Formats: sequence, structure tokens, C-alpha cells
Amino acid sequence: MAITQAMCTSFKTQLLTGTHNFTNSTGNTFKLALYAISGGGKSSTTATLGASTTAFTTTGEVASTGTYATGGGTLTNVTPSADGTTAITDFSDLSFTTATITARGALIYNSSAANAAVAALDFGGDKTSTAGTFTIQFPTADASNAIIRIA
Amino acid sequence: MISFPTEIQVASVNVMTSDEGGHSTEQIVELAMDRILKVSDTAPPAIKEQAEAFQNNIRQVLQHYIELARREERATIARRMAKSGHNDIADLVRRI
Repeated sequence: MAITQAMCTSFKTQLLTGTHNFTNSTGNTFKLALYAISGGGKSSTTATLGASTTAFTTTGEVASTGTYATGGGTLTNVTPSADGTTAITDFSDLSFTTATITARGALIYNSSAANAAVAALDFGGDKTSTAGTFTIQFPTADASNAIIRIA
Repeated sequence: MISFPTEIQVASVNVMTSDEGGHSTEQIVELAMDRILKVSDTAPPAIKEQAEAFQNNIRQVLQHYIELARREERATIARRMAKSGHNDIADLVRRI
């Protein structure tokens, strides 16, 4: 039972079938849900996320608190572009306020495509906010750092 | 057959949290700095030194103006509250 940073394998397949559209405004709706391990999820559940994750799951998801509701927050897509020969896409940073959260990782998924999983994110350790703000900052959108890159 | 290696990668995110309220000015400055400038560990010493000096200047400017923005926003909220007859709340906001 763990959260492993990975691009979901099903997502790679779905790229070849044109399932996902990351275009800003006119593209699909992508969401980010937060997950806990060691029974820290709602109803004492534990998350298992990684390359084999195929869709959003409530198992291990953190409980609703503050502005965080089941299913997580909606991401704002940044239309994909090319940086040299690398295709990249990005999202605006996401914050949940007045929230009491302990999360170990997250899942980015496409709520316009049957909640298909995109990527599992491992925070590297528990991150906690207590009646405060929980912010996820995406890396610089370039060929070396962007959140999703096809090189 | 000629083949070209192609890789699809996912990067790590930065998570920032706060307790009993929103992010501090220092935290917001760090979030902004991560987006503005990164100094490579492998940069030549002279370039690294200049980049770090520039980074410190930017950090100080951001610190000043974010703090100013927060103070001005509080002043506007306090004024609106006072105008609506909520002097007690206006006072609380002013003291944050």
C-alpha cells in the first residue's frame, strides 16, 4: 500500500486513442485529488496509487474539509506547447483553504473521460495543513521541468 | 528501421501548507521565486554569484510589495466593514 510517482500506463495508451484534451477552456476537465496512506484516508482507508492506477478512486482519498470536497479540485489547464522538441503541458497552482489535511500524494485525472487517471504524484512525505491553506505548486513549464512532458 | 527514443515523463510538484490561516508573506514569496528564477548547482561560480544576487533583490522586492498588497487589502476590507456598521469586525481585520 503506497503512493508511487508515475505516469499512469492507461494514460499512455489513451494518448494514442485521443482520449485526453489538455487545451485551456475548450479542453477536458482535469482534477487533482489528495490521498493519504496508513489508514489516513476517509473511513480509515489507505491509498495505493502508481502506474497501474486507471481511474479516480475514493479509497484513501482525504476527507472533505474546508474548500476540499470529495473528488478534489478542478485544475486550470495550460494549453500544451512545444519547448524545443519536447511537448509540455501545465496547470495553474491549486489551493484548498481553511482545510485540515494530511496527504501523502495526489492523482491527476480526467473527469471528462470517465475519471481516467493521468498521473500519480508522490509528495515524498506527509504534508499537513491545520485549518489552513494546502497549496500544490506545479513546476516551471519547460522541457526540463513541466509536470507532463513528452520528449 | 530507424527508431527514435520517446519518453513521457511526470514531474514532482511542490506542496506548501499553513496552519490556522493562509500562507505567510514569506511562503508566497517562495512560491513566486520558484517560478521566477532557479540557480543551477552546476553553474559557473561567477554566474551563480550574480544570479543569486539578482534572486535576493527580486525576493526583497516581492516581500515588500506582497506585504503592501496584504496591508492595503485589509485596509479596504476594514473600511467596507466600518462603513457597513461593523466597527468591531473592522477593528479585528485592522489588527491582523
